[in-house]
Amino acid sequence: MAGYRIGIDVGGTFTDVVGIAADGTQTLAKAASTPEDQSLGVVQGLRNLAAALGLELGALLAQTDRIVHGTTVATNALLERKGAKVWLLTTEGHRDVIEMREGLKPERYDLRLPPPEPLVPRHRRLPIRERLRADGSVAIPLDRASVEAAVARLKAEGAEAVAIAFLHAWAAPKHEHEVAAAIAAALPGATVTCSADVLPQIKEFERFSTTAVNAYVGPVVSRYLARLAGRLEEAGYPGPLFVILSHGGVAPVEEAARLAVGTALSGPAGGVAAAVALAQQGMGADLVTFDMGGTSTDIALVVGGEAALGRGRTVGGERIALESLDIVTLGAGGGSIAHLGPGGTLQVGPQSAGAVPGPACYGNGGTEPTVTDANLVLGTLDPGAFLGGARRLDRAAAEAAVGRLAGQLGLGLLDCAAGIHALVNARMADGVRVATVRRGVDPRDSALLAFGGAAGLHATAVARELGLRRATVPLFAAGLSAWGMLHTDLRYELAQSAVGATGIPEDAALRTLFDALERDGRARMAGWYAGEVAIRRSADMRYGEQVFEIAVPLDGIDWAGPDLAGQLRAAFHARHRALFTYDLPEEEVVLVNARIAVIGRLPGHPPAARTEAAPAAPLGTRPVRLEGASAELPVWRFESLAPDQRIAGPAIVESATTTVLLRPGDAARMDGRGWLDIAVG
Amino acid sequence: MTEPPDPVTLAVLDNRLRAIVEEMGEAMLRTSYSQILNSSRDFSIALCDAQCRLVAQADHIPVHVGAMPWAAKAVAAAFPAPREGDTYLLNDPYHGGSHLPDLTILIPVFADGALRFWSVVRAHQSDIGGATHGGYNPGATEIWQEGLRIPPIRLGEGGALRDDLIRMLATNTRIPRDFTGDLMAMIGAARLGEQRLRPLLAKYGAAGMEAAVGAILDLSEAHARRILATWPDGSWTGEAFLDDDGFGREDIAIRARVTKRGESLTVDLSDSDPQATGFVNSSYPNMRSAVAMAFAFLLDPDLAKNDGAFRPLEVIAKEGTVVWAREGAPVTMCTSHCSNEIVEAIIRALQHAVPDRAMGGWGRRFRVAITGQDARRPGRRFVWHLFHARPGGGGSARGDGWSTAGEWHSAGGLKFGSVEMAEARFPLLFERHEFLPGSAGDGEHRGGLGGELSLLVESDGPCRANTAGDGARHGAAGICGGQDGAPHHYVLRREDGTERVLRTKEVGIEVRPGDRVMVRAGGGGGWGDPARRDPASRARDAQEGLV
Repeated sequence: MAGYRIGIDVGGTFTDVVGIAADGTQTLAKAASTPEDQSLGVVQGLRNLAAALGLELGALLAQTDRIVHGTTVATNALLERKGAKVWLLTTEGHRDVIEMREGLKPERYDLRLPPPEPLVPRHRRLPIRERLRADGSVAIPLDRASVEAAVARLKAEGAEAVAIAFLHAWAAPKHEHEVAAAIAAALPGATVTCSADVLPQIKEFERFSTTAVNAYVGPVVSRYLARLAGRLEEAGYPGPLFVILSHGGVAPVEEAARLAVGTALSGPAGGVAAAVALAQQGMGADLVTFDMGGTSTDIALVVGGEAALGRGRTVGGERIALESLDIVTLGAGGGSIAHLGPGGTLQVGPQSAGAVPGPACYGNGGTEPTVTDANLVLGTLDPGAFLGGARRLDRAAAEAAVGRLAGQLGLGLLDCAAGIHALVNARMADGVRVATVRRGVDPRDSALLAFGGAAGLHATAVARELGLRRATVPLFAAGLSAWGMLHTDLRYELAQSAVGATGIPEDAALRTLFDALERDGRARMAGWYAGEVAIRRSADMRYGEQVFEIAVPLDGIDWAGPDLAGQLRAAFHARHRALFTYDLPEEEVVLVNARIAVIGRLPGHPPAARTEAAPAAPLGTRPVRLEGASAELPVWRFESLAPDQRIAGPAIVESATTTVLLRPGDAARMDGRGWLDIAVG
Repeated sequence: MTEPPDPVTLAVLDNRLRAIVEEMGEAMLRTSYSQILNSSRDFSIALCDAQCRLVAQADHIPVHVGAMPWAAKAVAAAFPAPREGDTYLLNDPYHGGSHLPDLTILIPVFADGALRFWSVVRAHQSDIGGATHGGYNPGATEIWQEGLRIPPIRLGEGGALRDDLIRMLATNTRIPRDFTGDLMAMIGAARLGEQRLRPLLAKYGAAGMEAAVGAILDLSEAHARRILATWPDGSWTGEAFLDDDGFGREDIAIRARVTKRGESLTVDLSDSDPQATGFVNSSYPNMRSAVAMAFAFLLDPDLAKNDGAFRPLEVIAKEGTVVWAREGAPVTMCTSHCSNEIVEAIIRALQHAVPDRAMGGWGRRFRVAITGQDARRPGRRFVWHLFHARPGGGGSARGDGWSTAGEWHSAGGLKFGSVEMAEARFPLLFERHEFLPGSAGDGEHRGGLGGELSLLVESDGPCRANTAGDGARHGAAGICGGQDGAPHHYVLRREDGTERVLRTKEVGIEVRPGDRVMVRAGGGGGWGDPARRDPASRARDAQEGLV
């Protein structure tokens, strides 16, 4: 049967379902999200997709050979503190690691800010008498009596989830594994997770915290995925279910349940995966993604066709040190509220009107002026065409809300609305600037890839502020995240710390280290997938006693060649120079972590068929306030634009789910591959 | 004068200026070489206008808040006609600096041929020469024993730098590579500030920017005054004590008289004790910064940190006291001590006037540095600095204090490194590193707990240790009826079991393999009467093993 592939993205309001047929035809369906059990909304979305394709759900699923899912179950459990009751077994004398948080506290000048509740309170952090050294040797043998006491306690309490995190378990997992076996024998139903299995990397706070989070979200994620897999099977789906992980690759549902902490950024990962796919399809190797939603805006970098990864993520205040897409979230979006701040200046956000009541113009009782209200007042949004006409916007309510703020500021209504629009653009540009300089990237040669409901109205202004010469808006912007999930590969990440008193292990030890990781990784992938597999090796390295390591790709290394350690050193110096403008050839180079990414290349899709249509004419005009003056702007239907059709700004291009504002000087061209390519004037 | 800018332009520029200092800070973090900068973030970034008024400062280390204008003023006094492309440097605490380890780079930003802004970067160097490694010399009785003094100098002009001068400075430090690397990072960050200001000056015009900056400062002033107006009028006193000066003089008092009238606050430190022999004295800019830090802690966290916000604050002090030493006195410890005591005296003075804003005392800094040989790395000397076993933060009206989050001057901004990484790279075994039960000051909201550390030294042959700090006699102050946190207690336990208490200001302590450094760090001060503590909170503390 014709093979469909289906991507499913569960958002805060809608569940997007994208189907790609064997001939490349793309279809988007939506259903309301069901936060109490996301799988209900997923199945409804699939039903809607089937209907859109003129099929019964069972018939569609029978013809489907891959489903990829992005879920926010782990994220929500962390944000809402609704995870499992976790017990942490840890090295005696070190049971406060996760609560000490390396001595850091946020909000430098808020000394009255109370400390957060730790994910695992102190009385559930049980000391085990044992101690390893950094070379994996035993300083204090595992003490049976302390293990038995802890296991008895867990049994008496009926523990549901147990994290085991010992010092230097990254070097030798034996103590953790012995304790895990004892717990598994005594409490067969419990989720037991060892730090050496979650993240065999040096630095105890990062490893312990990630492990505790894995135990916290593990039972919730496992139950959800089992429920979803069950519903799909019931509905007649015979194929594999994959979950997109925080690093942007996908894994089978069993792996997502085992390493549930790896799904903490599953939600926004699809958008970045889409950006990588678009980069490969010719949009450009360097992109800044600009995903502007209702309450926040996600920014990520694609450099040289690859998404930047990082390890510094915090979700719901908890540190997660797994390799994750490096997504920066700014606290401003279409629903952000404009107000007079405590310092007496106009501010936008961080408060948001959210989905309920939403912007004033939604007519759901919101009275505060939001960015969306300002855009409606300016005329850039069409009150009758929002969400394809599904939601009628109340212009009078928007004007009343913005007007109240205008009165406070001593401004006219339109000037106030234009001010909100300008301020949010400036904040977005500042956010991108700080995010890029932090990563050692100059964004000016990148294109701004705009998607998410609100991005199109702001994209060219933000690009202009940043000195970017191009902005792009995919026609498929509304379902982009689900679409992206279908354009990424299976990925399994392994890392192993190898820190010794000397900087870099000797050549033979280096080869053994990487080869062993690769063997493990290939074995794991072979259990998932029989197709083409690619391997990427990299290392985290640093100078001397510096605290931050940098990730060094090792693609060009001759592993069989002479002076392997020297080659790694040279690769590090070059990477340091590229990132920080200088290197220190005389300084000691330290290898901290060896890394392997095993990538299972999933078959691609044929490109969507291009429609050869005649250039469309504008639908009409609309009065818009732009740069201090009102003008009648032509309005174009995004879907009806012909390949290579060109539109000069100022103009509006709108679809059911996206509105793009072209400013004076902007020159847009409809790219036949499915996006509006805007030269920012 | 130009028209005042419209509210939208004002909001955009206000955001832009704050984003510039944040971006400069990120550049500094990415490019600095030494661990003290890229890990501990012991640096500060500011923009001042042509009148040396603080326009924007990034939220890094609170102890530098409001200190930068003094550096700009010192440069402006020494070089009345700066030119475009100049680069200035200083560290001398008697010429605009806080203490010698903090270097400050200042770059003038021009538009239409006139000075418009100063782009300022201050960063703590890992060494600045002088008698001891790292600049903290408890034996110093005069500043020349503390390191290299740099009054305002022109480090280069026309966009170029004086390499000979940089070599001379670097040669006077123990780690020239760190010095030069960090100096270059500072200059790069300051230049980034200049690059970012230029398009703003071009777009809005120099006069437009000046008007906007004036309006932003006025708004911040009004914000601060609105908050102060809600406080009761009155005059109150508070005091805090340094343990000693390292030369036998104990219980050195810092006394604050704080007077609130209408929308203004006066802090008078004149009654503080005379200056000391050792390095616990404060320089004038550091004292001003410490007062600004207390002010910022007491007002609202979202108050801008700029010249306008500090206008309602008047500071009175007397030269020759411990808070304002006469030129020549040693001052290196001052960014922690007596900064912390200045903050605490002010907050104690105001505890009854604004109990909901006052917070229990945060801990004191007690540093230990150990240097020796590691058998695993023959021929390489190691130097290890204690950042673990931090003291606790104070309780407040909103809740209990933060445990092991540090001192007033860093307030949770300094990270301690990984125990595992330290063990992998140094001949040390961290046998115990946990909260120290009972260390917190009791109160309706108790302080945070200090840390406890048992550190076994496994070096190849004997090591030497130095200490620098305070707080072994005086714990963090309880506030509004709360109790003081426990003071620090550091002990060197010999392999044979004999013990020796470590004093806070010692040099050249012999530490042998098998010896243990046993740290019991002080907790934070409590807030409010302990009798009012919620029984559920007490039960929880007992269940959590914190008392």
